[in-house]
Amino acid sequence: MRNFEDDPTLNDLLSNDQLDRLNRCLSDLCAKPIALGASRPGADAVPVEFNLETVGWLSGGEHEQERQAAADMVGFLMMFVAKYRLAANLHHDATEAGYAELQRQNEALKASEARYRALSDQLQQQVDEQVSVIKQTQQELYESARLRSVGQLAAGVAHEINNPIGFISSNLRVAREYVKDLAEVLPETPANQDLMADFNDLLAESIDGAKRIASIVSDLKTFSSIDQADYTRCNINSLLTSAIHLVQTEYSHGLEIVERLENVPEVSGHPSKLSQTFFNLLDNAAQAIRDAEPDKGPGRILVKTLIQQGDIHIVIQDNGSGIPEDQRPKVFDAFFTSRPIGSGTGLGLTVALDTARAHGGRLQLDSREGTGTRVLMTLPIN
Amino acid sequence: MPDFSPDDNKLALKVVFYGPALSGKTTNLMQLHSLLNPERKGELMVLETRDDRTLFFDMLPIGLRGSSGLDLRLKLYTVPGQVQHDSTRKAVLSRADGVVFVADSQPSQQDNNATAFGNLEENLEKVGLDIDTLPMVVQFNKRDIPGVVPEEELQTRWAGTPWSPLVMAAALKGDGVIETFRILLDRLYTVIDDEFRLATDHDISRQQFVERLSRNNPEASGA
Repeated sequence: MRNFEDDPTLNDLLSNDQLDRLNRCLSDLCAKPIALGASRPGADAVPVEFNLETVGWLSGGEHEQERQAAADMVGFLMMFVAKYRLAANLHHDATEAGYAELQRQNEALKASEARYRALSDQLQQQVDEQVSVIKQTQQELYESARLRSVGQLAAGVAHEINNPIGFISSNLRVAREYVKDLAEVLPETPANQDLMADFNDLLAESIDGAKRIASIVSDLKTFSSIDQADYTRCNINSLLTSAIHLVQTEYSHGLEIVERLENVPEVSGHPSKLSQTFFNLLDNAAQAIRDAEPDKGPGRILVKTLIQQGDIHIVIQDNGSGIPEDQRPKVFDAFFTSRPIGSGTGLGLTVALDTARAHGGRLQLDSREGTGTRVLMTLPIN
Repeated sequence: MPDFSPDDNKLALKVVFYGPALSGKTTNLMQLHSLLNPERKGELMVLETRDDRTLFFDMLPIGLRGSSGLDLRLKLYTVPGQVQHDSTRKAVLSRADGVVFVADSQPSQQDNNATAFGNLEENLEKVGLDIDTLPMVVQFNKRDIPGVVPEEELQTRWAGTPWSPLVMAAALKGDGVIETFRILLDRLYTVIDDEFRLATDHDISRQQFVERLSRNNPEASGA
């Protein structure tokens, strides 16, 4: 690229038309025609100088003096032409440089913007990650606090009830013996016989009731895993049975729960978390049945365990109300609940999913609104 | 950087008069034009001004011929001092071989001097020149105005720089202008001789270089 300060040639200063016109003017002024050109035409030509530089050669004219005068005049003219040329070139150079500078700055700005954008994205991502960690921790905290309080309560209740129910059971059995003895010494009147029969029935019912209380206490102990360490060998079927009993108790034994439990091996796991999960799933099923249309017929919950492809499959299926399609993607979200405020935490399925994952398993939910819901939990045998 | 064309045996050098607005850069050049009588001297081109202030640049070509036939040209440029003409300043400064920094001696102008000097440093860097190796002279002009910053104070202030001692000038009267130019020629010779071996190849000694390019014009001796 030429710089603005490069010495201009005759062609830079004058176009061919302008040169022709200048030659005509000079020729008109002088006695004989004058010719100005870039190269030296002959020995008698005189140089036209501008800025110490020979820009052209002037020939023709009547004599040396005339040629010299014309050359001086052209040099004088050239100065003004060159001034314009120089200023224009400089302006061009400066503008180009300014533009290039602007473009550079623009590029730098763009790069910096991209950097900040990336940084901001990164920050957003980090914030999102942090938020999800916080949510997760919060939920685990909540869940473990709940579990602990339920466990403590259950342990307390179990402990308090175990003793009295023990002596109540044993006293009732002794009382039955006494009643037998009494019957032998009492006169055999019809009134006495009726009384004794009724007495026996009362005691039998009471013994049965005490047995049920003892069994609930035992289920509560299993459920809260008071006696168990964090991870231990779990009998899935017995955990399920305990959970079923508890749900039955909660729903006043009005549920029809069908158990099809195959013999499955024990797995290493967290019994209270698994119990909680089974209880949650069963409770969901029971609620779905209660929420179902009244004309739907009797509700039923099917609980199955089986072994398939090396995994334990636990199926809890109901023919209740089902889950509306628009809610289905959200059911595993923490704190999502379709129930009235206060009656559900919105953590049941979340905890179930987390528990399944924590045990290396999966949780799968199929539901159709109005037809029912089927939850499949798979646990690896280990 | 020097522009040498081996075909024409022509060496073109560029000296730029830099400095804050209204410090007397054009006056320096005009005085050189009238005071100097170098071997060859072209027309002083004052390109365009508005209110006496340079818009583009001024240019004065001078030159000499070495015995080897070397055609040595020196083009002296001024830049517009006003802040807004920075891109023009940069374009003129590009490929400079030497710089004369013309500062204003008036106390009120010291900030402008500093700003302009900073701008020079910055622009030299942008056009790929190194202020530490570029031949340069710093001139404090307008010594004829009463109340200027005392020379002693200025010399002390600049004592630690490569451009000490400073040259004092009153360009309007022609004082110090040629002296400034000669010091620059001397510093320029050191660099140019290194590269083009003016002394050995072209028989131009340092003394000749300075003398032949800065001869006094006898006609202007009264000025």
